[in-house]
Amino acid sequence: MAANYWASTQRRHWQYSRETLAEIRQKLEDDDRALVQQYPLPDRRLLSHLFNQQLAKFGKRLSIRQQAVATAQVYVRRFYSKVEIRRTNPYLILATAFYLACKMEECPQHIRTIVSEARSMWPDFIISDVSKLGECEFYLISEMNSQLIIHHPYRTLQDLQNTLSMAQDDTSLAWSIINDHYMTDLPLLYPPHVIAVTAIFLALTLKPTQAGLQAAASTAAALSSATPMPKDQPGSMNGVPNTQQKKVQNLVSWLAEGEIDIKAVVECSQEIISLYDVLEHFVDKICKEQIARFVKARGLDK
Amino acid sequence: MSPCSNNPSIPPTFLRNHFDNGITPNHDDPISNSPEPDTPESDTTQPAYLDPYYLEPYSHNFVLPTESSEARKMPPTNGYTSKVRVLDRYKVVGFISSGTYGRVYKAVGHNGMAGEFAIKKFKPDKEGEMIQYTGISQSACREMALCSELSHPNMIHLVEIILEDKCIFMVFEYAEHDLLQIIQHHSQPTRHPIPASAVRSILFQLLNGLLYLHSNWVLHRDLKPANIMVTSKGEVRIGDLGLARLFYKPLHSLFSGDKVVVTIWYRAPELLLGSKHYTPAVDLWAVGCIFAELLSLRPIFKGEEAKMDSKKTVPFQKNQMQKIVEILGMPTKDKWPGLIHQGEHSQLQTLSSYVREGNNGKSGLESWYWNTLRSTGYQDSPPSVTPGQQGLDLLSKLLEYDPMKRLSAEQALQHPYFTANGEKVSANCFEGMSTQYPSRRVSQDDNDIRTSSLPGTKRNGFPDDSLAGRPTKRMKD
Repeated sequence: MAANYWASTQRRHWQYSRETLAEIRQKLEDDDRALVQQYPLPDRRLLSHLFNQQLAKFGKRLSIRQQAVATAQVYVRRFYSKVEIRRTNPYLILATAFYLACKMEECPQHIRTIVSEARSMWPDFIISDVSKLGECEFYLISEMNSQLIIHHPYRTLQDLQNTLSMAQDDTSLAWSIINDHYMTDLPLLYPPHVIAVTAIFLALTLKPTQAGLQAAASTAAALSSATPMPKDQPGSMNGVPNTQQKKVQNLVSWLAEGEIDIKAVVECSQEIISLYDVLEHFVDKICKEQIARFVKARGLDK
Repeated sequence: MSPCSNNPSIPPTFLRNHFDNGITPNHDDPISNSPEPDTPESDTTQPAYLDPYYLEPYSHNFVLPTESSEARKMPPTNGYTSKVRVLDRYKVVGFISSGTYGRVYKAVGHNGMAGEFAIKKFKPDKEGEMIQYTGISQSACREMALCSELSHPNMIHLVEIILEDKCIFMVFEYAEHDLLQIIQHHSQPTRHPIPASAVRSILFQLLNGLLYLHSNWVLHRDLKPANIMVTSKGEVRIGDLGLARLFYKPLHSLFSGDKVVVTIWYRAPELLLGSKHYTPAVDLWAVGCIFAELLSLRPIFKGEEAKMDSKKTVPFQKNQMQKIVEILGMPTKDKWPGLIHQGEHSQLQTLSSYVREGNNGKSGLESWYWNTLRSTGYQDSPPSVTPGQQGLDLLSKLLEYDPMKRLSAEQALQHPYFTANGEKVSANCFEGMSTQYPSRRVSQDDNDIRTSSLPGTKRNGFPDDSLAGRPTKRMKD
């Protein structure tokens, strides 16, 4: 349903358990084993980081707001849970997902505008024929079963910022953590409100320094034992300012009385923290080269 | 060369990509919100799937040759072919209607799939011999996405969507009737009223579907009799979500997207006066107009649409506004405090403040209402045979100038019109009726479909929204 996440196609058809998602991906790779072996690719999160960068750049060039960029990212992730990436031209998929997302998020861009932007961003991979992108749109919509309405965590964040008396800084940090989660599989694994709460939790605990990170880890540990954090847990808030500590307490007691799946929040937090670890190893050039190899060798850019 | 002509069996014409524009002779596609259709590229490479080396890129049945040779021989694999073919699944039995969006066909299922279907084929943006993919119109995207998401007994049910041969086919449950057809049936050969109980049931189901839409943050924006289907079991189904959209915190103001929405006779005063912030209340105004039309069998505000000028500025719909003022009187800022904030409220001065003469000092709408009941032939009693005083009260609260005061779908459903007299509103609007409505007209003639699909050929006898003189759809900027 459009406004009701619980009845939405997102929840009914596009939310998997980790096991199911792994099986789906395994099957895709098994079906194309030779291709997969011939063209190794980096960690999915690194690829996603590249996609994220490219789409954000695309969005900036056309002054498109973040939500449409986020929708495009979810489209790309859904699509690649159905289709082996090495059978596609990822740049064409990115441009098409962006084109479609703009229409669905009510900021439509002309197909020519999209194609010419895409061409100037990726001249080696996009030809000027708009019908290529139009055809790819059919492919994308078909693989997604026309289920194009995406529920994002941003809305929950906006709803909660007052409830949890978050400062502007906290909110914008949580906002950028939400932006980052599109580089992980979390959008296919958890409901948007869980992601939003995770982002808030991380924003309040990660801030402002490395000390916050440890705080996050130990708060996560406290949360996972499903009891509200003891008020004076020794050392846990080391280096975190007092007001911040209060906000975290606020959040924890709010979580304790709410119906949010705390275990899920903990899992999401860990996923995001490890994302930041993985991204340390991101080398733009390697990703691009590995994509270029199969696209060029297989003539997918024609 | 048509992409289809390579196939050994020639597909029926309805799979080809010609559209008869007889109904809307101007070539501008008023439905497409995207800018002008693209002109085809000079380079017309044939579609990938006509390539003899073409391999379906995502077929799981496909067995790969050894990888080394595969990598060398593999042709471009971005080509799209549908996994499902419309004609494998459905047998088209006739043509129902066409409009700016494309055409609608009646079909039955193949292979024992029970039931009847209405298949809406979207017109590709580009017409001509060689169809190119030019991007799907935003309106089609919305309709596909919303219909996939929504499900309610008073919404038309989507069976599936098939994207094939550069066309979009939306397969819906088949509904035998629609409100326009029912209204027409009661207008001919002589006017005889739609039973009061049926009107009540229709209105209740319509509001119930609308409540569902609005509580899901969807504005329909094009409610009118032709878009409201009725099944043979008397169930009302809201159809045509081509203009519908979400209104929860849109990225842009609703106004900026589609400057003009809702077929003119059903267009709310705030839209006519150029409001920048409109709300679900626009749909409730349309419900009021439909209610009035069910009672009088004629559109209540039958204005003439002022066309957009060459600069594509949206004109003030003076004639339409005049029709409203004739019955409801001039809106005032006492009754509608937001009136002065409407972009075009100064235009009201250009209108005549003439209000159609009310009998015995009654207000315009009240006088219209009782005259209408009398002339359509409603009896005054018992309460079950007349829409009565409660009907008037509900109607006046739907046709309320101030969108802030206009009833919401939820409030309207609780109106005494539905609850008074202790009668239950039936979920079958035909309950207890002896009238048999004629089945939807379906052209059985294959040849007719074929020839009529040639550009510029007029179809015989199946006008877009039936009644000649009905405004042709909505306009958009």
